[in-house]
Amino acid sequence: MTTNSPDEPAVETGEAPAESAGEEPAGDSGTADLAARIAELAGAESWSADFGNAKVRVDRARWIEAVQAVRDGADLEFFSFLSAVDWSNEVAVGDPLEEAVEERYEVIVRLSSTRTNDSVTISTDLPKDDARLPTLVGMFGGANWHEREAAEMFGIEFEGHPNLSKLYLTDEFEGYPLRKTFPLLSREIKPWPGMVDVEDMPSTENPEVEPEGVAGEAAAVREEGVAEQLPSNAEGVAGVAQGQAMPQGDSPQGDETAEDGDDES
Amino acid sequence: MSQTLDPLDPLAAAHVSEVAVSVELQTPGMTLNIGPQHPSTHGVLRLVAELDGERITNVEPVIGYMHRGYEKLSEVRTYPQITALVNRIDWVSGFANEIPLMTAIERLMEIEVPERALSIRLILTELARIASHLVFLSSYPLELGAATPLMHALREREHVLELIEAVTGGRFHPNFNRIGGVKPAAGGGTTQKKVAQDLPQGFLEGTRAAMDKVVAVCDDMDTLVLGNEIFMARTKGVAPIPADKAAAYGVSGPNLRASGVPFDLRKHEDYLPYHKYEFDVVTAENGDCFDRYQVRLEEIRQSARIVTQAIEAIPTGPLQAKVPRVIKVPRGETYVRAENPKGEMGYYLVSDGGRIPYRLKIRSASFSNLSILPWALKGLIVPDIIALLGSLDFVLGDVDR
Repeated sequence: MTTNSPDEPAVETGEAPAESAGEEPAGDSGTADLAARIAELAGAESWSADFGNAKVRVDRARWIEAVQAVRDGADLEFFSFLSAVDWSNEVAVGDPLEEAVEERYEVIVRLSSTRTNDSVTISTDLPKDDARLPTLVGMFGGANWHEREAAEMFGIEFEGHPNLSKLYLTDEFEGYPLRKTFPLLSREIKPWPGMVDVEDMPSTENPEVEPEGVAGEAAAVREEGVAEQLPSNAEGVAGVAQGQAMPQGDSPQGDETAEDGDDES
Repeated sequence: MSQTLDPLDPLAAAHVSEVAVSVELQTPGMTLNIGPQHPSTHGVLRLVAELDGERITNVEPVIGYMHRGYEKLSEVRTYPQITALVNRIDWVSGFANEIPLMTAIERLMEIEVPERALSIRLILTELARIASHLVFLSSYPLELGAATPLMHALREREHVLELIEAVTGGRFHPNFNRIGGVKPAAGGGTTQKKVAQDLPQGFLEGTRAAMDKVVAVCDDMDTLVLGNEIFMARTKGVAPIPADKAAAYGVSGPNLRASGVPFDLRKHEDYLPYHKYEFDVVTAENGDCFDRYQVRLEEIRQSARIVTQAIEAIPTGPLQAKVPRVIKVPRGETYVRAENPKGEMGYYLVSDGGRIPYRLKIRSASFSNLSILPWALKGLIVPDIIALLGSLDFVLGDVDR
């Protein structure tokens, strides 16, 4: 991982698929400022502010002090959630990652303020063969259940946790279900049928579709109600049935939309 | 019996020693199992309570009976297919669950949702909030022994559900949002007139009438429930949650506002155009069961106020932004939170650029709201368990996901 000084925007880290350059368009300046401020408080390795998500990465050795510094220094006293992401090149469910990543668990915790709209993600990486992290229970009571969930779902050990027993699953359950290598048995037996019609489409279809919805005029609806505007119910139903019957057609709804436009004008 | 006992009297001596024994005798604690099938647990929640007499020394909630593994299921479904799942997280307000997910996907795809679609989303979210709060308003007194409010509130809730059904086609699981907008017309289909596409016949009139009824039933509840002496005795000063504890446990929504924190994501976040409408953030001071009821009651009035304003000014325009036929979400991660009836609901979405999410963390309000239970119940008496459980207004589907 590239280490950035906290007062500079994060640069492309390359191996983390979810991370793009810190100053990319989606991150507005407010989020970037917040992320930079939090990164300084937490002594973070890097930060990003993409898509309105202020995120700082800290070293696992500094986990407790970083979270504490953010809570006290930035008044982020609301514990939103704690969870993890399994960055894995080998997947038993879903699509594999496009680019290879460093195998690791990324623990994320989200803290917010109840006075301002500041809200920040703090994350740290754990190697897969040593997935241990000190607990946050002493700081946030709410971390108790969230850590139990992360422990049973990912197999992360939270050191010092008062009761790390299983939360959802039975005690006899073996394995860690949210790990990417954990298969979804029902899908092993029969692949998800919903995938089929999605897969065929790109080759036969125009990737862009006309807007499905059609303009409505609120004023007219308000004053006259919708009844008068409906030509006839039967027609409408027929239109829907037709649209659904030919999923491979050239975006039936879009075409009809265009026709509607002509009729009306 | 102020008569002094003669220590030499053998009978009196025996009496004294008996008194000493019964004072010093430590009765062993009792473990009481409550649930998982219990009407006041809103689903299947099991509590293992350790009691000292009638006082609770420790409570261990046992959850997971409703665990359906939505986070894992999301990893094998395409983005448009996930909406059908998230409807069922908090099934009392299914529509509201869809909003933060849609917003997260749209944010990553950088889709600008048309104003009319946002407006319809907002109206339906508020209707869902009213429906959800009405369930609470009616079932909570029932749990405390009053059956009448149930009939009153559920009758008016039916009007609200009918409105949701008229627009979306579903009472509880609308599955109405599409990435980039909302589904065009339930039952309307493609007709020749564009104007007839979205909201059903009589929706605006019906909404106005329903809001009047909802506000009226709130007034009923004010006198019927809040003015009831038994209700007050059961709830006032019971299980207060201080603001700092609530925040540290991630307790959000009306439960947090009852503790005096004016934190409402409708004011803080811009996932829906709430800034266009006037409404107040309702708070209370003590954070006890009574306040939690009062806050929700008042929130219905505020929601009705928002809906009444919103239907007067639905913007014109399309219902759906231009989106690709196959939804592929660009690589990135974001967190979108929204003020749901139960509290902060959010989705942490990690995408790798494909048509399936790489990871979808569902932050549900009831999970965090319920996690404060062991702390809040300590030292209370057994009847307070029901009073506190009911007042937290959780749904087990929202806890277990």
